[in-house]
Amino acid sequence: MSQNDINPFSAIAHLERINQCIQCGTCSGSCPLADLMDHAPRELFALLREGAYDEVLHSNTPWFCVSCYACMVRCPREIPVTDLMYAFKEVITQQGTAPKNHKMPDMYQAFSRSIKDTGKITESLVMARYGMKHPVDALKNIPLAVKMLMRGRLELKAQKVAAPKAIARLFALTEIPQDKP
Amino acid sequence: MKICFYPGCSFATSAGYRESTEAVCRKLDIELSQIPDWNCCGATVMFGENKLRATALAARHFALVQTMGFEELVTGCNACYATLRKAARLLAADEELFRKTRGVLQNLGLELDRIPKIRHLLEVLVEAMPDSASDKYKTLAVGAYYGCQLTRPDEELDKGEHPQILEHFLSRIGFSVKEHSASTRCCGASHAVIYKNECQELSTRIIREIENKGAQVIATICPLCQFNLDQAQSQNNGPGLPVTYFTQLAGLALGLAPAELGLNKLLISADKVLTRP
Repeated sequence: MSQNDINPFSAIAHLERINQCIQCGTCSGSCPLADLMDHAPRELFALLREGAYDEVLHSNTPWFCVSCYACMVRCPREIPVTDLMYAFKEVITQQGTAPKNHKMPDMYQAFSRSIKDTGKITESLVMARYGMKHPVDALKNIPLAVKMLMRGRLELKAQKVAAPKAIARLFALTEIPQDKP
Repeated sequence: MKICFYPGCSFATSAGYRESTEAVCRKLDIELSQIPDWNCCGATVMFGENKLRATALAARHFALVQTMGFEELVTGCNACYATLRKAARLLAADEELFRKTRGVLQNLGLELDRIPKIRHLLEVLVEAMPDSASDKYKTLAVGAYYGCQLTRPDEELDKGEHPQILEHFLSRIGFSVKEHSASTRCCGASHAVIYKNECQELSTRIIREIENKGAQVIATICPLCQFNLDQAQSQNNGPGLPVTYFTQLAGLALGLAPAELGLNKLLISADKVLTRP
């Protein structure tokens, strides 16, 4: 059996709901960032139903999902589209197939790392960490950062939970075991 | 009245959300009991990385709320609100997830027996604010902007795409409200920070629509919405509509001074519209 025959998304809760999709495209038409997606949600569901798992694993669609939930409240079949996008990202992250040229995985990693280290987010530090991989973006944001700083809206010191060890422990306890081939 | 408050990571550095919330609550005799040692809720990031971790990060607060003896948890950030509610929704529907989450929290010395009701600060002020007793702001035209994650996905508080709770509130406390069609259109959220150019038209569309319907000020209820609409205008030739928090307008309605409400922190200044004759 080739690897493509195994559905890597099969463990997702309520994945079977996509079989109720009538391909009306309301989700894609409601999506604020559909123009940037390689396969807007309707098409992504069609690909998944056809078993084009590789295509879905490498798609940029879940990474452009901005979590506005417009598709989810409009879907005539009440498919939890946004929830599924989150679940796709979880699988894609585990499989390591996030599109290399997409900036959101780096942003999310910087964000998650900040929670792991300090329990909280400090926007300037998340952007600094993200900026190490995307220095041009970081430089472009400097004028805005200065304006924010002048108005007392930029914290440069990390906000921290009192017990960072508890959060680090929470991360350790929820680690997903990696089964290496 | 005492409420259990979850500020979230953006509260302290937002454009006066903290100042105005604290000032308004003081005036209304609402005591904000902040959850001690709160952590980031995980926002729109964690559920895309690890469902159990995302649920546990949010549910850690449910256990802390329980310890504090509260039944409700209030937050002023739409992303926190939606994330905490998502965790609550999943925990109520999925026994195995509840059991695992509970196990993780027990390991941290916390007990999770019940899930608090998650509410937005807007709901609290809707209940606590008195009707307007003055005409001072009756000609100040305000456009309400909800963003996405207050009424979507569950539509419990109000309609998902055409809510009215904020409009009713603003008009009851003495402002002139301008109806428009962009009140729940997406501003691009965190994508607007990273994919700035690509998301520019999302905020432009919202700001233009609110301006075209005659509003002079925008009222927001979420730190990221406020930031996106404020910064988009500060970098381009936008119409220059000040983007305030509903708590700042509530403060003005209560007779508090702009300086107490952190209005000096907006990138697009509100001085002109507030001091006009």
